[in-house]
Amino acid sequence: MSLIATPKMVEQTKKRKISGGWETLRALPWLLPTLILIAGVVLYPAGLMIYTSFFKYNNKGILRSPDPVGLDNYIGKAGALTFPGVPIARILTNTVVWVVVVVLITVIVSLLLAQFLNKPFRGRKLLRLFIILPWACSVVMTATVFRYGLQQNVGLFNRLLVDTGILETTRAFTKDPTSAFWVGVFVAVYVSLPFTTYTILAGLQAVPGDVLEAAHVDGAHSAQRYWHIVLPLLRPAIATAALINIINVFNSLPILRILQETPGYHTGHITTTLMYEYQSALGPGVSSALSVVNFLFCLVIIAIYLIIVQPTKEVG
Amino acid sequence: MKMRVYKLGVAALVGAFALTACGGDAAETPKTDAPAGGETSAAGEAPAASAGDLNTTIKILAPSYSDSSQADWDRITAKFNEEYPNVKVELQIDGWDNFSQSVQARIQANDYPDILNDNAFSSSAEAGLLYPIDELLSAETLANIDAGLMDNGKGPDGTQWAAPDIASARMLVYNTDIFEKAGISEVPKSWADLEAAAEKIKALGDGTYAYGMPLGSEEAQVESSLWVWGAGGNWTDGEALKANSDVAVEGFTQMKKMFDAGYTQPNLEDNRQDTTDLLAAGKLAMAIGHGQVVGDAEAKGIKVALAPVPSKDGEGVAIGVTDFIVAFNNNDADRKAATAAYLNYLYSDELYEPWYKGTGLLPVTTSTIEKGKAEATGNQGAFLDALSVVKFQPVSNPAWDALQTALQQNAYKIGTEEPAALLEQIEAQVAAQS
Repeated sequence: MSLIATPKMVEQTKKRKISGGWETLRALPWLLPTLILIAGVVLYPAGLMIYTSFFKYNNKGILRSPDPVGLDNYIGKAGALTFPGVPIARILTNTVVWVVVVVLITVIVSLLLAQFLNKPFRGRKLLRLFIILPWACSVVMTATVFRYGLQQNVGLFNRLLVDTGILETTRAFTKDPTSAFWVGVFVAVYVSLPFTTYTILAGLQAVPGDVLEAAHVDGAHSAQRYWHIVLPLLRPAIATAALINIINVFNSLPILRILQETPGYHTGHITTTLMYEYQSALGPGVSSALSVVNFLFCLVIIAIYLIIVQPTKEVG
Repeated sequence: MKMRVYKLGVAALVGAFALTACGGDAAETPKTDAPAGGETSAAGEAPAASAGDLNTTIKILAPSYSDSSQADWDRITAKFNEEYPNVKVELQIDGWDNFSQSVQARIQANDYPDILNDNAFSSSAEAGLLYPIDELLSAETLANIDAGLMDNGKGPDGTQWAAPDIASARMLVYNTDIFEKAGISEVPKSWADLEAAAEKIKALGDGTYAYGMPLGSEEAQVESSLWVWGAGGNWTDGEALKANSDVAVEGFTQMKKMFDAGYTQPNLEDNRQDTTDLLAAGKLAMAIGHGQVVGDAEAKGIKVALAPVPSKDGEGVAIGVTDFIVAFNNNDADRKAATAAYLNYLYSDELYEPWYKGTGLLPVTTSTIEKGKAEATGNQGAFLDALSVVKFQPVSNPAWDALQTALQQNAYKIGTEEPAALLEQIEAQVAAQS
């Protein structure tokens, strides 16, 4: 198509614009329920959260004074970022480590798994079904199984580790903030795998066979074929999987909440679990403030991801 | 593209129907209720004359003390409904672990329970959400509740905001078999005795821990209070609370000494259930406990006995914990009248006795305490006797909630941190919230 617009094309565009506005108006009655729903369950709570973060509450959730307190809930003496005894720098670092490590391992392992599941072999359907299991189970249940399994005196995993000689004596994994954090990373990867694997598997099935065949004929060996053809074609699938995982993992409360048995503001928190801790100890004001910070923090992480990876870039 | 628009339209339409359908339901329910509501508010100024005319709903929020808690409350409701057939009682029972969150959720939703059974009352009282409980309980009921326990429900200005409904005394529970095996003839009274006994138990070398020190989020405030009292002090400093007083540091130093010497279980962040399990498995010689702890151990065939908790100079201490009934002000005279009637049923001897027995803890009314003492066998009697000498935590102080939370979150760190620094941090957390 030529790049110079003909008068006819301009005419058409104008028409489309006018009718576009009219169509939007006509579509409104149909979209309205959805918009109301979005306003009700997304915008209103978010607005309320921001509003709440500027008022002082006690830990029972009773409003202490009707006047807004400015940024006290953020950086005041009992603020979300400045409350004494909270290792906030460590917690922010933990959050980044948590998101990056979990998503990275999940995507890499999922690539391997998807590749394997894409090969025809006997019992493939059954195996695919098994892979989906952690996804089908409730996260709370999965995390609870790990917590009990790692219990020092009666936990089966602990016994297994000792009986196989990996550990000399049993350890209370979930009572040490650092080890519990890494157990949490393991569980988070475990529950994120099915979704990611399936997204990538769907992408793999869309890779056209003739392209691969052509590459084969041209003499590309398997690693080259994977690196230069399959992986670029998988880009949209990986991008979707990674983005959804980042948001999911970032907001994941139950895994660390259940696996961390240490009380208080220990060094194994991420901002999301700290938010929960604040909610019961300091009330909704401070907790909302951290929630706002958390939301901005999540945006930053996603922005960095988009800038570095540029997942929307067309396949070159 | 067109197709997608249609699909979206259909989805929106279905959504719209679903929404209006739900909305219709929601809108209709109040309508059917409206006349009744109108009547009650008309009669609201003066509560209905006879019991049968009282037509309202009261809400109860209570923790789960045991599997029978629901049935225990239902029994009272059934009796209450015989006289007040038109009062609907809505009971919600939640577990202790997240109970404060349940309370928080109800308060924030402006859905105050008429009757709340909880272990704290000061912040609700301070915010003016409560009726003074003596406005509701009859003179007879008030007189029957043990005066010492009753004082525990008074606010700083002397207003009786809460009435105790259940008590527990914590004492030193020890395994007599282990004591015999280790050659300990006398129950430790002072901290020095305690260390000597612990050394002997440790010397047994069979994996038995001498002393259970649960500093997890469930019991930290009780355990640490006992050590501070043992040092001869309290959390109070005049009117205010002070976490890092010299006596408190002394108490915490002794706790650290016990841990460092290897006399305690290895994980200080254990909850009471963890140490109770150790005790019941015969792997723990001593722990602070109440009736349920003793019951669990005895159920496993472990022989235990009770003694006062050792202190620095040998003068035993015991800690009492009471849970409370508070009544939220819902600005409705009928609900208030029904709540009052319900509570008087709760505290009547006939209904209170099975109710408190269901919790596995101790009663608070003088008549049932007397009866319990007369009928008690073995260790249960000792707990009842201790009830008259126990010391309470400063629950009525509005700052106590913050201190309790700070202790629950930090006390376990005594294993790794210096007592003075730790208490200073706790004090800083409490001060930041005032």
